[in-house]
Amino acid sequence: MKVWTGGKQGKQRWRRRSNTTPRSLLVCERSSFCDENNRVSSQVEQLHFNYKVSVLLSDCSSAPSHLESLLTSFSHFYLVRNLPLHELLDKQFLETAVYQGNVYGLSYRTRLDEDNCVALMPNGHLVLSLDKDSFQVLGFEGKTSTFNYKTKNRYVVTVDLTDGSMAPGRQAYLRLLTGLTSRLPLQMDFLLSHHPGGGASLQALLSRYIWSEHKPEVGTCSLTHLPCPDLQSCDPHGLLEWLGAVDANISRDNSSSSFLSSLVCPEPKRTVSRALRISICGLLLPHDVQRLIQELRCYLGQCQPESWVSLTVHGFVDSPVSWGGKEHGVLRGGENFYTLFIFHDHTYHLHLAAGAQDTCPP
Amino acid sequence: MSVFVDLNLSYTADNNRLRALIETAAHLGFSTVAINYVFEPTTKKKQEIPAPKPISALIDHLPIVQGRSRPITVLNRLTVVMSDSSHFRPNAAEYRGFDLLAVYPTTEKLFHSACMLLDIDIIVISVTEKLPFFFKRAPVNGAVDRGVVFEVCYSAAIRDSTMRRYTIANALSLMETCKGKSVILSSAAEKALELRGPYDVINLGRLFGLSDADAKEALSSTCRSVLLHAETRKTASGIVYTRRSCQEDSPQPDLCDAPAAKRPHLAE
Repeated sequence: MKVWTGGKQGKQRWRRRSNTTPRSLLVCERSSFCDENNRVSSQVEQLHFNYKVSVLLSDCSSAPSHLESLLTSFSHFYLVRNLPLHELLDKQFLETAVYQGNVYGLSYRTRLDEDNCVALMPNGHLVLSLDKDSFQVLGFEGKTSTFNYKTKNRYVVTVDLTDGSMAPGRQAYLRLLTGLTSRLPLQMDFLLSHHPGGGASLQALLSRYIWSEHKPEVGTCSLTHLPCPDLQSCDPHGLLEWLGAVDANISRDNSSSSFLSSLVCPEPKRTVSRALRISICGLLLPHDVQRLIQELRCYLGQCQPESWVSLTVHGFVDSPVSWGGKEHGVLRGGENFYTLFIFHDHTYHLHLAAGAQDTCPP
Repeated sequence: MSVFVDLNLSYTADNNRLRALIETAAHLGFSTVAINYVFEPTTKKKQEIPAPKPISALIDHLPIVQGRSRPITVLNRLTVVMSDSSHFRPNAAEYRGFDLLAVYPTTEKLFHSACMLLDIDIIVISVTEKLPFFFKRAPVNGAVDRGVVFEVCYSAAIRDSTMRRYTIANALSLMETCKGKSVILSSAAEKALELRGPYDVINLGRLFGLSDADAKEALSSTCRSVLLHAETRKTASGIVYTRRSCQEDSPQPDLCDAPAAKRPHLAE
């Protein structure tokens, strides 16, 4: 029990602690694609579960044809209703999908700070983020969440399905299987996706439940007379705020009659006569994002020297894992996203942002 | 963290209003709510403690909580407004129909006995008037050790600006004494418009002197521990509970993994 020294000093100490603002992390990097050690592709690969990609192309009024055909060729994903979790341990599913490193899975319509959430990563790691009651009933070893505050309310069970000890028939595998079938029969809606060519591996699992196939939703909007800050000199927080306002279609006039928004474009600014905003939503895979970056670099090579492109990739708010399989949590918001500004001369600015309950992005 | 819970929705005789309250709470994202029956005994005439209406009579189909696939859970709660120590009768039979028990002490002596002695779950802090007494460390720590929580209601702050000042002032003085532990935030909503979403209430908790994580706990895990505390009130040390069997003779205790030393002796 903490001994609380009373008196004025004690009171001041208490007040200071309660006034702390919520923590958020922003990691910025500036480099060039020509540099061999550039970390863009490794960063893209590490964020497995992407919800939305927003692209802003300057000096462009309509999407070039190559870009459009690329956007329509993004991988499809499946939504399975009420999938019992023990199906992910099914021997045939493990052999055809998980061991090949093909499949991405994420629980859908489960809140990370309220419910149990599950993620299946392509490297065969199954991550279960469970509340206290579910963890105690499941009876499998796990760790307390790194973001538990005073009481231990959230536990994370990480299982490497490709490990020898989790092979079908082994003790650990049977224990988890019994746990998920008889003690804690969890059922939830699941989003599943796979690398190209791996579709057949999921068919056996899908055929047993109600499922639907979806393709990512693409939306485009062309903007005119867009005030835009100087990207080289603007500070990252102001720049990201401006970019978010453009993406969310918030007015940046700061007119006296509007009470909703007092956001303004950071100075110094110039006006871009036309710009194109594209957004893609769904369960998006890292390799699709890599192809998009390559295509945007090719497109930029054919444009004028002052043109630039920005690409923002948002991770799922309710995903139990973030960059590189590290734990993710939701305090007031579960943002985990990165923004890439690409310039004509192959240089880039990369900003990685995470919220209060995230470890530092790599 | 666990699900968001609001443990104080005021009971009204108007079924439609109550239904609208529950539907709004489900829409906002609360997974469990409790309907609060307030009992204010006066010394003038003997009053009956209100019996809780069964939930199925109030609402046919419980609405699904927004963003999840389960329906909302509705519980019954009794708040006894105490201006005298005889107003709360321990082990009264009428209390059994309620899932949660709360008291609203109006004097310092009653607050002390509520914190240290009474078999209750929640102590309601007054938000509509200046605090009639100061919170002392000793009873507050005693209540925290026993598992009794303090409740701050926010809907009075929504209704009136003077109440807003009292709410914030009283809440701040409570937080200074209890350091943000064992506090729950709830609306005492009489209308659906007085309910606020869970993240908004977390922001409101910051005004009351709680940190972000404390405020979130006040709405989720502390409420969960209150519900568990309420369940164990009906049992012996949280281990044994009794259930009336269909036979004519004395009720048999139903044992749930009780060690032999703790099993009660059967009455002859």
